[in-house]
Amino acid sequence: MVSVSRESLKPFFEPRVVAIIGASDKPGKVGNTILINFLWGNFKGEVYPVNPKYNLLLEKRCYASVKDVPKPVDLAVIAVPASLVSKVMEECAEKHVKAAIIISGGFKETGPDGARLEKEVAAIARRGNIRVIGPNCIGVYNPETNVDTMFLPEEKLRRPPRGSIALLSQSGAFMGTMLDWAAYEGLGISKAVSYGNECDVDLIDLIEFLADDPSTRVIAVYVEGIEHGQKFIRVVKKATTKKPVIAIKSGRSTRGKAAVLSHTGSLAGEDVLYSMAFKQTGVLRAEDFEEMLDLAKAFALQPPATGDRVLIITDGGGAGVMAVDACEHYGLNVPELDPKLQEELKQYFPPYCSTHNPIDLTGDTDNQRYRIALEKAFLNYGGVDSALVILLVQAPSLTVDVVDIVRDINNKSTRPMVACCMGGEYSAKVAKEVERRGIPSYPTPERAVRAIWALTKYGQWKLREIRGNNRFHENLN
Amino acid sequence: MDLISQIFDNATREGRTVLLEPEAKTICMEYGIPVTKFKLATSEEDAVKYAGEIGFPVVLKIVSPDVIHKFDVGGVILNLKNRKQVREAYSKIINNVKHSKPDARIVGVLVQEMAPSSTEVIVGMTKDPQFGPALMFGLGGIFVEVLKDVSFRVAPITERDAREMITEIKGYPLLKGYRGMPPADVDTIVQILLKTSKLVTEHPEVDQLDLNPIMVYEKGAKVVDARMILSR
Repeated sequence: MVSVSRESLKPFFEPRVVAIIGASDKPGKVGNTILINFLWGNFKGEVYPVNPKYNLLLEKRCYASVKDVPKPVDLAVIAVPASLVSKVMEECAEKHVKAAIIISGGFKETGPDGARLEKEVAAIARRGNIRVIGPNCIGVYNPETNVDTMFLPEEKLRRPPRGSIALLSQSGAFMGTMLDWAAYEGLGISKAVSYGNECDVDLIDLIEFLADDPSTRVIAVYVEGIEHGQKFIRVVKKATTKKPVIAIKSGRSTRGKAAVLSHTGSLAGEDVLYSMAFKQTGVLRAEDFEEMLDLAKAFALQPPATGDRVLIITDGGGAGVMAVDACEHYGLNVPELDPKLQEELKQYFPPYCSTHNPIDLTGDTDNQRYRIALEKAFLNYGGVDSALVILLVQAPSLTVDVVDIVRDINNKSTRPMVACCMGGEYSAKVAKEVERRGIPSYPTPERAVRAIWALTKYGQWKLREIRGNNRFHENLN
Repeated sequence: MDLISQIFDNATREGRTVLLEPEAKTICMEYGIPVTKFKLATSEEDAVKYAGEIGFPVVLKIVSPDVIHKFDVGGVILNLKNRKQVREAYSKIINNVKHSKPDARIVGVLVQEMAPSSTEVIVGMTKDPQFGPALMFGLGGIFVEVLKDVSFRVAPITERDAREMITEIKGYPLLKGYRGMPPADVDTIVQILLKTSKLVTEHPEVDQLDLNPIMVYEKGAKVVDARMILSR
């Protein structure tokens, strides 16, 4: 079953032949932006514009119907008014198109008439064996093949580079914002899908697909509602044993439930039940946009932690204390270091440095103290499961070359490392250098610790799920 | 036909979706969920006789399909220590109910073992249109009512899910024993959750369920009141 759904979703991401139905030469039109994306955006396949009004579009031959396209079509991108979508889909079915992205709005989201229209379109798709993403969406962005149906022009919405974060969003506007933000932050994307009304392919199908996608390391999701809750639990629980899923669920206000006779019923508000579903499937719930990208970045760059013991290295006492506070808040452990290790560290550091956890290298630190602390208390020490490296780069003897020390340790370690560079412009520059070397960096200790918390929580979930003992109602006496 | 199907059929025939307390408790017993000893009396004499069999002290509760909140109509009298008190309580309950709800059909009066007070917990289930049967766990009383300190999992659940439900509520330290209170029997709560999960999975007719309160002791636990509502 898995391979069937995998194969059927492939044409969305790796089509060889694409038909743009509703292609246009009028700047600002959806069908124009999408055509430009494909023609000028290094798409790795063939593109056929379809629109009966034109013979030529942007110097390409334009076809009156998808049926006239001289080759078998893998993917149809449909950007025509809602009233024409059924007719276009019938033609796609005749042409044996494998997959369609219906960008057009004017369906379920507009009311009962739109819902009827959507049902009709879904039925045509089923009969014609066409997988559909949408309607009412901005579709797919895949930087590997340069499939890009996002109709938001490049100059307003920068496309992020290739990477390992997959983004899924019910809302098209949210997807646009996330991509632009990711590009701005330099975060790499493996695949992005705005999936809209889910008339065929739904969030769950996409999570299942991406769980087996070799380019994706972490899946980040924005969701407003889940239609098939039980399927969600069954499928996503399996997906999270393969890779982490982070979700924002919007709409937290409580739902008024009529005529509840039980106590339990009155307490089971919508938000409570979504939290339940996420917990039960190992999905990490992000409170907001910032947290979602923070956590996605951590998983994109670092392995999960197998335990909750955090080593903190800092050159400022205050930042260290804040990190400890945050660890306590998130239920992470900041263990005392082995006395023998502390003795050893004392040989290298001036007496005013703290060799407890956090290790405080103090404001007169140089790069070497970081190397020694990282080597002895993290790389060669088994008493911790992850490391938080706080770099207050304002320290006069600390140079930007410290980032290479951090990189060297990170390359040799199988345990996760996270950095925190606090401060203004210069610190932000150093943070970018740290990230370029594969270590996620955050501007506050709290955000850095939250990233470690996610790496730890997911690591523990994965270990437990893989170790099994998952049979229902077992051990009943 | 098994006992549970008979109870469901009976209720359906009588047009009831809310099961009577003895019916709900019988279903619990079929699944091995520990409930307080009970017997349904339809006369003062029966009530006295049953109280003797169960052992004092006992509780008397009205059994009526038309009474949902038994306390509100004076339909519950606690801690009856002898035959005389049981006899008086029986007629008092019947009178109370007749007075405050004249149209209520009265099936009888439940004579029930008075469970010694202890840490109270609640186990429940409600059907959600998206997620299906959602099991709930919480500490009883204000913890549920005011603080809404509860945890949910979709049934069916694993033993690990059950343990997580118990440990993730904020009031969990109270179950581990607090200020000289003995620790509560968490293993028994796990069993009750697993059995409830089995019950609601095997009987999708059940739409909502409250086992509330459940008295949890150092060893063992007892469901004091059970409510089950069938789907229409």
